[in-house]
Amino acid sequence: MTAPGAEPLPAYCAGLSELQKQVLDDTPYVHFLGLKVSREDDGTTCYQLCFREEHIGNPLLRTFHGGILASFGEVVASLHVLEEAGMQQQQPLCTSLTFDYLRPAFSGTIRAVPRVVRSGRRFIVVSVDIFLDKSHVSTGRFIYAR
Amino acid sequence: MIAQSEVANRYLTMAKTFFGTSHPLFNAFGIEIDEIGKGRAVMRMPCSVALSDRHGGLHRGVVVTLLDTSCGLAIFSRLGDMRPIATIDLRVDFIREAPPGEDVRAEVECYAMQGDIAYVRGKAVVCQDDALLASVSGSFAVGTLGPAFDTTATKGTE
Repeated sequence: MTAPGAEPLPAYCAGLSELQKQVLDDTPYVHFLGLKVSREDDGTTCYQLCFREEHIGNPLLRTFHGGILASFGEVVASLHVLEEAGMQQQQPLCTSLTFDYLRPAFSGTIRAVPRVVRSGRRFIVVSVDIFLDKSHVSTGRFIYAR
Repeated sequence: MIAQSEVANRYLTMAKTFFGTSHPLFNAFGIEIDEIGKGRAVMRMPCSVALSDRHGGLHRGVVVTLLDTSCGLAIFSRLGDMRPIATIDLRVDFIREAPPGEDVRAEVECYAMQGDIAYVRGKAVVCQDDALLASVSGSFAVGTLGPAFDTTATKGTE
């Protein structure tokens, strides 16, 4: 089922692993968010989210809801973990998140840049920075258990 | 349970102004208010296929959104008005995934207010059996950018 207004997932997910595609396909909430995944020319994965009415936090300022920003961060972090930590079998479990809201995220297209801070035997720590154009709107840290 | 005093009624009117039919996110999530007042807010939402994870339970991002929203409402109820607020930071521990098909409830209290910062803590549980799903703590800036949410709602009622 696709949420009303949600965009279909891109078919241009070339370069994504089978497990990543599966996770994208099988997670209805990712469709609801309208996550866009694409490949840059340099081979890095680009994660984007276009503002929709269902993302609104403050209706008077038309900003992204804090929960939507954290959701976007977590979805990107979990996909990045699959890519970087070479996980092929199972999706790692998110055990906690810490999220800092740096600036109001006004309506527009936001971009997430994930980075593995440490990939250990039991835990993987990922940080995700979220940008609106050139402005750094929020940053999150996510811990995954293998 | 609520609506027993005028104060509670006012909070509820206030909350419905903000969380009422006009808010697209709360509409899409089906968020409902169970309880509000004295710095405490309890909200609940039904499980829906569109908002679920791979296993059919509400996605953890949805749980965070419900918690964040409840934090805001708890702060409004402590303030007694709806000055604009903004999340400074949020910490969520995920104890377990929401079971497939189960509705989720968030219970949050604003336990301190210092200067322009409000501090909140709370949890998300399964509606049916109160099983703990996640705990939250965070801080919010009070009196931030933009007009108050209750500018129209409270005019002339004070």
